[in-house]
Amino acid sequence: MSLASPLPPPDFEITSAYPEVAWLRQAVAAWDWTAVRQYLAGLPRGSDTSQVFSTVAGTEGVEQVLRDLVAAAPDDVFALTLLGAREVQIGWKVRTGARAESVTREQFATFHAHLRTAEQLLIRATALDPSYAPAWAERLNTARGLQLGQNEARRRYDRLAKSHPHHFTAQSRLLQQLCPKWSGSWDAAHSFARDRMLAAPEGALNAGLVAEAHLEHWLGLDAGEERHAYLGQSHVHAELVEAAGRSVLHPEFRREPGWVTVAGCFAALFSLIGDTARAAAHFRALGNLASQFPWSYLGEPAEAYTRHRDTALALTSPATAPNRGRR
Amino acid sequence: MNPQSAVHRTEVDGIPTLFTYVAGPMRAGLVFRAGIADETLGRAGLTHLVEHLALYRQGVADYHYNGATKAAFTHFHVEGAEHEIAAYLTGVCASLTDLPMDRLETEKEVLRTEESRRDPGPLPLWRYGAQGYGLVSYPEWGVRNASAQDVGQWAQSWFTSDNAVLWIAGERIPPGICLKLPAGDRRPMPAVTSALPTTPAYFSHGTGGVLLDAVVADTPAAWLYSGVLERELTRALRQEGGYSYTTATDLTPRRDGFTVLAAFADALPAKQDAVLGGFVDVLAGFQAGRITQADLDAVRGRADAALSSPEAAARRLPGMAEDLLAGRPWRDAAELRSQLWAVTPGHLHEVALEAAGTALLQVPSGHSADWAGYTAAPTASDRTVTGPRFITGRAGDAELTVGDDGVSLTERSSPGPDGTRVATVLYRSCAAMLSWPDGGRRLIGADGLTVDVEPAVYGVEPSTMAVIDAAVPPHAVVPLPPRPHPPRLDRAPASSTTTSARPTAAPPATGTVLADRPRRTGGQMAAMVLLGALGGCFGLLALMLTVFGADDPETSVGEWLAISGFLWGVTALLVWPAVRILRRTSRR
Repeated sequence: MSLASPLPPPDFEITSAYPEVAWLRQAVAAWDWTAVRQYLAGLPRGSDTSQVFSTVAGTEGVEQVLRDLVAAAPDDVFALTLLGAREVQIGWKVRTGARAESVTREQFATFHAHLRTAEQLLIRATALDPSYAPAWAERLNTARGLQLGQNEARRRYDRLAKSHPHHFTAQSRLLQQLCPKWSGSWDAAHSFARDRMLAAPEGALNAGLVAEAHLEHWLGLDAGEERHAYLGQSHVHAELVEAAGRSVLHPEFRREPGWVTVAGCFAALFSLIGDTARAAAHFRALGNLASQFPWSYLGEPAEAYTRHRDTALALTSPATAPNRGRR
Repeated sequence: MNPQSAVHRTEVDGIPTLFTYVAGPMRAGLVFRAGIADETLGRAGLTHLVEHLALYRQGVADYHYNGATKAAFTHFHVEGAEHEIAAYLTGVCASLTDLPMDRLETEKEVLRTEESRRDPGPLPLWRYGAQGYGLVSYPEWGVRNASAQDVGQWAQSWFTSDNAVLWIAGERIPPGICLKLPAGDRRPMPAVTSALPTTPAYFSHGTGGVLLDAVVADTPAAWLYSGVLERELTRALRQEGGYSYTTATDLTPRRDGFTVLAAFADALPAKQDAVLGGFVDVLAGFQAGRITQADLDAVRGRADAALSSPEAAARRLPGMAEDLLAGRPWRDAAELRSQLWAVTPGHLHEVALEAAGTALLQVPSGHSADWAGYTAAPTASDRTVTGPRFITGRAGDAELTVGDDGVSLTERSSPGPDGTRVATVLYRSCAAMLSWPDGGRRLIGADGLTVDVEPAVYGVEPSTMAVIDAAVPPHAVVPLPPRPHPPRLDRAPASSTTTSARPTAAPPATGTVLADRPRRTGGQMAAMVLLGALGGCFGLLALMLTVFGADDPETSVGEWLAISGFLWGVTALLVWPAVRILRRTSRR
């Protein structure tokens, strides 16, 4: 363990990367829904607002207030979506992120009950306003958890994409569904990631999907030689270089919600491949900012982050010659 | 409005008659308040048989005629020249009072052929159970054993002049018409039964697609909602999504003030999940009140054209005859048109909510709709009878209980509060018991749940079977011909305790429980002990001879080998049947 790292430890606090979340948390704590609505309304058209909804959904006990809000205004799409998102969050917390084999029957029953409650709120939200992307984005989570099927998840994504073609969070959720662990296939996952990257404007986060797909693929293989061989393929490296160039390294890139995860994915993958020079560039961009995903895939998140960063930065310190080659 | 297209009420031979003036070929129909819903499951098909027999003497006519047996009404209709109409209607009435019983067996065969082509689907049985309006889902089990007397009595009590309405669209009432029918009673409408404790509900069945069935007030708003729903299903599932090829809606007035709204979207097996999701969202959109004036107007245009065309009055006559038989208030076209034009999107929203409240959704097998707020329709009973129990199933996971008041089948390791599912049919509410010569019985409760009692599989003694046979009401018993493959020990049925499979007269499918072990009977037990003991004795004798016989100076080696072999052979012959009984039966 490189606990004796000379660099500061990774900062997983979401408010460090996105200071507006601190403000949002205060507004939610004060049940100031008017302020949250105004904040949403003030975001540029086409923004991925998932962070706002996940901030509210992550607030303990907020469901009580949201239920009152929905009861008072049953046609309030914003309130329906917030409560739906909260129910999804409660359900997934009971289920935990563990593999299905290690989730008990009771956990599954509670998980599904919360998702069904969420789904019915969200059905109403999308029925009232079919162009309301945040509700469709949540319905990708319910579709996955309730195992409603690949085509149904795809249908939901298509409904969302009609009004919001480059919704990165929704794409990331559908990508999960397209992976074999949720009854999809690697072909479907990789081609979706690539398609969405190419469709998105240059500099947007969407190319991060390519990195996510490779990371999922890598994790799905047996630890050791199989994983090593997978990342050793030249096309994988080339796709990652292209994807990073179209997103976090592009001149048009802006640090929007989700960028820490995307930059982290590139850093992690280049580091796993052994392309420490490229990994270092992403680590430098991150400073010490971190998100649970992707580092939770690589072990204890803080430890994994530190280990990979220190390796990458040590090899490319000014004292050593620039190492442009792989391995 | 064209005054000639008005509908006039008159009477022909004491039968209430609806007449509208139409030039050209004449159309007419005789409608009776008699149908499948008036029958019982064990005697189902009598009305249909009467309809067929009544038309037999019409033979091969040049004019177009037909008969139709529906849930609550039977129609005889005809199109042709004046004298042909008169001949047809007079002939039908004459036949109804004197059915050609020499044709009975032949017409039964015709019905069986027709049945194999008829597929009304399982929705009615899930909504109403194995009674009343639910009977249309079932085979006509009463036909095979119907006697001439049964059929004659049925005709006499239902096909009477007081239970009929005549309609005519032509230039005048045809002269020479003679409708001689026995007097009787105007029959009340069939009772509307329910097999659904809560709605909206769903069940999983088949692979065809998604079907909705909802009961709403029979108003012009409901007609328009049906049209708007069809448009939206087509738009969302076919045009935009490409998930479905066929999308359709339909209304069947029940003539009790309500109409049954049906909606359908087919699906490729690979797209079933998306069709279901899209279907749910289309319904949700209407329930949320998202109904555009443009859609309403488009549908209203067509509905109004149907009411105001020169043909409209003639086309409405069969339905008006049903309304009259059902005692519904008279609705003339002008009044309906004005109601039609008064409908707003708000009214359609009300219909959508009413439909949502009574909805029954059929989703493809392997899918559910609980996630969308639909409750699973019952596939289990909430009580179990008490009495002798018979265990079967690979690990004793199915248990048949024969009680004083009914039979129960308990399946373990299936969804249920404690991992079990029970299907109970009480004798007093047994709608039908199919009875095969090999001893197999299938009991179908009024709620549609079934219990198969297969003595060969469960090891039920004849005395117990006799108790069941005696307890079921005689009118519910349906004797059937031998089955090609009666269930046996080694080919045991999957215990079919649910209504999920559309019931047929066929034997239960051989299924998942491959090595069911029935309970060992007393006789089997005794045989096993006796054979085992004898086998043991011979085995001991064979062993002693084999070990010590070789040294016996009085027998040659050849004799010793022969006698030893013989004794071992006898032992094997005795032990083998005992082992078979042991392996194929269980102790409890």
